[in-house]
Amino acid sequence: MSTPSFAQELRDRDDAAISELFSFRPDLLTPVPTDFNALAGRANSVPSLIRALESLNRWQHDLLIAASVLTEPFSLAQLVDLTDLSAKESTLELWSRGLLYKDGTKYRLPSNIRPMLGDEPAGLGPYSPVPVDLSPLNEAPKASLDVLGRLVWGPPRGQISSVSKPGPAIGWLLEHHLLLAFDSKTVILPREVALHLRHGKVYRELSHTAPKITGTVRKQKDVDRAAIANISTFMRWTEELAHNWSDEPPVALRTGGLGVRDLKRSAEHLGVDEACAGFVAEILYLAGLVVIDTDDQILPTHAFDLWMTKNSEERWESLVSLWFETSRVSGLIGKSEGKNIAPLGPELDRVGIASTRKSILQLLVRNPEMDPDLESIQKKVQWLSPQRFTPEYVQWTLREAEWLGITGQGAISSFGAAYISGSEELGVEKALPNPVDHILIQADNSAIAPGPLTIELSNMIGTIADIESRGGATVYRFSEASIRRGLDHGQTGDQIKDFLKKTSKTAMPQPLEYLINDVAKRHGRLRVGHANCYLRCEDEGMIHQIMHDKRTEGLRLRKLAPQVIISDLEMNEVLIGLREAGYLPAIENATGLLISQPAVRRAKARPRPPRVLSEISKASEQLVQSAVRMLRAGEKASAHKPRDIPRTTANETMDLLHQYIEEQASLTIGYADTNGGVSNRLIDPISISLGTLLARDHATGEMQHFRISRITGVSPATQS
Amino acid sequence: MSDGPLIVQSDKTLLLDIDHPLSDECRRAIAPFAELEKSPEHIHTYRLTPLGLWNARAAGHDAEQVIDTLLKYSRYAVPHALLVDVADTMSRYGRLRLEAHPVHGLTLVSNDPAVLREVTRGKKVAPMLGLQLDDETIVVHPGQRGFLKQALLKLGWPAEDFAGYVDGEHHEIALKQDGWQIRRYQELAAEGFWHGGSGVVVLPCGAGKTIVGAAAMAHAKATTLILVTNTIAARQWRDELLKKTTLHEDEIGEYSGAKKEIRPVTIATYQVMTTRKQGIYAHLDLFDAIDWGLIIYDEVHLLPAPIFRFTADIQSRRRLGLTATLVREDGMEGEVFSLIGPKRYDVPWKEIEAQGYIAPADCVEVRISLTDDERLNYATAEAEDRYRFCATTATKRKVAVALAHKHANEQVLIIGQYLDQLDALGEELGVPVIKGDTPVKERERLFNLYRSGEIKCLVVSKVANFSIDLPEATIAIQVSGTFGSRQEEAQRLGRILRPKADGHGARFYSLVARDTVDQDFAQNRQRFLAEQGYAYRIIDADEVLS
Repeated sequence: MSTPSFAQELRDRDDAAISELFSFRPDLLTPVPTDFNALAGRANSVPSLIRALESLNRWQHDLLIAASVLTEPFSLAQLVDLTDLSAKESTLELWSRGLLYKDGTKYRLPSNIRPMLGDEPAGLGPYSPVPVDLSPLNEAPKASLDVLGRLVWGPPRGQISSVSKPGPAIGWLLEHHLLLAFDSKTVILPREVALHLRHGKVYRELSHTAPKITGTVRKQKDVDRAAIANISTFMRWTEELAHNWSDEPPVALRTGGLGVRDLKRSAEHLGVDEACAGFVAEILYLAGLVVIDTDDQILPTHAFDLWMTKNSEERWESLVSLWFETSRVSGLIGKSEGKNIAPLGPELDRVGIASTRKSILQLLVRNPEMDPDLESIQKKVQWLSPQRFTPEYVQWTLREAEWLGITGQGAISSFGAAYISGSEELGVEKALPNPVDHILIQADNSAIAPGPLTIELSNMIGTIADIESRGGATVYRFSEASIRRGLDHGQTGDQIKDFLKKTSKTAMPQPLEYLINDVAKRHGRLRVGHANCYLRCEDEGMIHQIMHDKRTEGLRLRKLAPQVIISDLEMNEVLIGLREAGYLPAIENATGLLISQPAVRRAKARPRPPRVLSEISKASEQLVQSAVRMLRAGEKASAHKPRDIPRTTANETMDLLHQYIEEQASLTIGYADTNGGVSNRLIDPISISLGTLLARDHATGEMQHFRISRITGVSPATQS
Repeated sequence: MSDGPLIVQSDKTLLLDIDHPLSDECRRAIAPFAELEKSPEHIHTYRLTPLGLWNARAAGHDAEQVIDTLLKYSRYAVPHALLVDVADTMSRYGRLRLEAHPVHGLTLVSNDPAVLREVTRGKKVAPMLGLQLDDETIVVHPGQRGFLKQALLKLGWPAEDFAGYVDGEHHEIALKQDGWQIRRYQELAAEGFWHGGSGVVVLPCGAGKTIVGAAAMAHAKATTLILVTNTIAARQWRDELLKKTTLHEDEIGEYSGAKKEIRPVTIATYQVMTTRKQGIYAHLDLFDAIDWGLIIYDEVHLLPAPIFRFTADIQSRRRLGLTATLVREDGMEGEVFSLIGPKRYDVPWKEIEAQGYIAPADCVEVRISLTDDERLNYATAEAEDRYRFCATTATKRKVAVALAHKHANEQVLIIGQYLDQLDALGEELGVPVIKGDTPVKERERLFNLYRSGEIKCLVVSKVANFSIDLPEATIAIQVSGTFGSRQEEAQRLGRILRPKADGHGARFYSLVARDTVDQDFAQNRQRFLAEQGYAYRIIDADEVLS
């Protein structure tokens, strides 16, 4: 009887099993394989197997290794013997992941798995080439047993000085074939012997139960309180950093990213450590709220201004969702293995972080009111995905979750849990302190907003006062410069005073009133304007003449002083105009031209940093189902595929199509894609119009248009 | 969300809402560990600093109390990280202790061998240490007590000093309370110091720091070295001690530029102590001249750097620092903490004012418009001369004179920076001028005449800034200041904040030229006043002149 192929076994699985396979291994879906041969090929390919192995938990992985110890095909009973009864269920899990396939009642491994699990699975050497007689073990000398004891749990190889002249203990073992010579200096313990010595089991201890998470118990109320403090702090950090960078934009490194000194400065500005500042910077960058602009300046974008108008919950949610998905690992920032890794730089992407992050948060959700001990959660994560485990990732994820307020005091907050469960209302907005609509002005020219201000108020006060301290409250300071800034923004002194009187709960102190009056009085006494060129003439009569000359009316001239005229036209235009009017102007060497500068600098938004799509997210039910349908259709198509669809001329094609439309028969066409590649499609033609064929494609089950000019050939689909 | 009076900011400042019903209770609760930074009329600002937290530890408060207090009074959720930081900082104090070992002398002790190992690795610390006796004890080289404490503070592991003090040479000193009574807070301050061993007492100007010093001396009953800022202050200390203690004239010595007396109680000036002859501090021997039992540092916030170095050598003597503020403009608060000791007592300015021990002050800024000529001259003056120019304009002089005349019946003090201006004022008003070159004898004579009321008005330069007691001054007119020093403003206010015999308020005028750098500097200085709760009014010079 011939061995069934992996493809054949997959083909024989029912649709539910195939759907399950796709949902466990979504990478098999992109693109949807054309038929089961292709699916089997892909499922047995090394990259896909690596992903599949990475998704196994410790026990599943161990079981797979145990399976690889056996010779194929092996029965479930054999596998249970090697481990224990819990293997039964887990074997099914491996099967549904396509890591085992059935051969009758027995199992096989897809061919590429073994090499990936290593030559010596679970520290077991190869099978002996000759049948092994285990009975001499009972009278083995103690020294020989000691040698076996050292090799039994692996590694199974031992170095000796020479195989040809072994010591008595090893000599005895070699003599009885309980140990084999591997090369001139290495001996190896055969698998049969090792398994015997292991009492028929592969592992000393089975890892089928996940370790428990331990930690400190917290009260949800305290957790939420702490989390809301974290949330408001984090939101403030983002705003503050963006504002700070708007004022003093850092210049990106040549390799991209934020330099060490700028990171340090930002950290000092926020009053946090560099790891935290780097994280805030990364989140802003991910959200497209800051970018590296074309001049290499790191600046907030217009998106930032829009984002600021949203409510806190929306803002928080937008940042948290990016953090969940990103493949960028902020924890790596500054971590040097001889070099520095910069935030916003190109070196932060890591495979697997997003899924690690999600699984950690799932663990937190499953252990509410608990601040887990780092070690215990690390152990748990390691058990869940041993192949992907990096201890730092766990630590960093917990740290970042705390910064973001997904957790508070280390335990999952109700806001974080609400986000993870996908609920619409996260409760952040309600838990944050209500915005206040007043300030308190004090005699030392400071004003205090005793809570978060409404956005309108904070924008207004922001233009006329500088922020001195932030937190639950905001402390503003009025100074000559800040009042001047307000006046520059188009406020008048009276408007500022009225605003403050209206907004302040306390009486406006006299010194502040004086300050505003003083600045307002002086503001604008000196005027600055923009001119493109000037006309200068010591003869005031000439100036007068030009100003009243009808021919120069179009030059937009304005007299500034008896001897000076300015124009906002380009110098050349003015020159030409004057010359045409019969004057004889000469060009003067100009210096000190004013260059106006926009008040706030903003970069034009650029695309967000590309995310490495290293992880293929779980496919939706719908996608999986349509994939299964396509696969079955592809299968049909490949079964029905004529070896070669004869190329037909355009006329023949038209004729044939008309014929089949009338007959309502299925047919196979060769169809060229935009790259010139030809694929075969199994279709039911419906109608032809405007040079396109409308037909139902068996693969998708949907109506589709085919351009006649691209149909390379038509042949009837022979029904089997 | 509770509705407490306190808002904890992320920069570790605490905002206290004074109008909140719980504000008083809260203020008392946070005062031990938070430094009051400013206290304007509605919201007071406190700051959490490592030194403040360690001061609280030294006074017996623990992190749990601090955190509880913050949580109890906080209006909004307090960032967890900040609380962790507080607990972490506080737990660092006292993990290391300096103790006297019966056999090995001075030792550094810790129950936490890891901390001990960490600090002994420090490059600066290692050479000061000797033999490690066991996991928890290391011998300290004799004489390194102060330097070690300094170095440990810099490493963030302040050591608690239990190594004890020498008693010093016994000398009988007692307070002589005839016709006056030591105030309750002065008594508490002296006791707080005595139980702590060494440390700093923070009292506002005019709250009677000298008495606290005297009370401390009465506790110590030992020979005492008093370090003060200048000779005038030295004489005032002497007078006060003669009046209020049992000490006799021949028991008190003055060690200054003029005299070099060493007596059981010796008052020395910072200046003489830091005088160098051929690169050596010539008067250092004073510290060893007598077996001092107590050393008092007046105006600790002005203590010059070299004195710290001497102080490090005399850690086995009790040290009392007296000051109005722990804030040093040179940022050497850490040296004060490690070498003189933690804060032992502190009363806010306003509280003492409320008890009636300091006169309430009315601060008025007089805005003076320059004439067009003056404006033009000001605009064209060199940058370095501008302040001088606008601070000394003729218009200003006119206003100062007008004010002096207006208060002709009160005790007026005119304070300024520029001598020409002061001379001109003195001449115009016909009153004496005290400046740097006025002999000490003459100064004292004039001050005495002023105190007795025979002279109604005095013009003084910055020599009068510190520690000169002019309790009867009710009107101070500041015509020019040393640019924007906040220290100076406080001192000047201090001159007139002494309680008045008739209990009426004092007034502080500051003359400022409008639209000049003078105004900028004034703003900086006045901010300090406003922060201390003294709202100032602004009036126009025309109001004065009319």
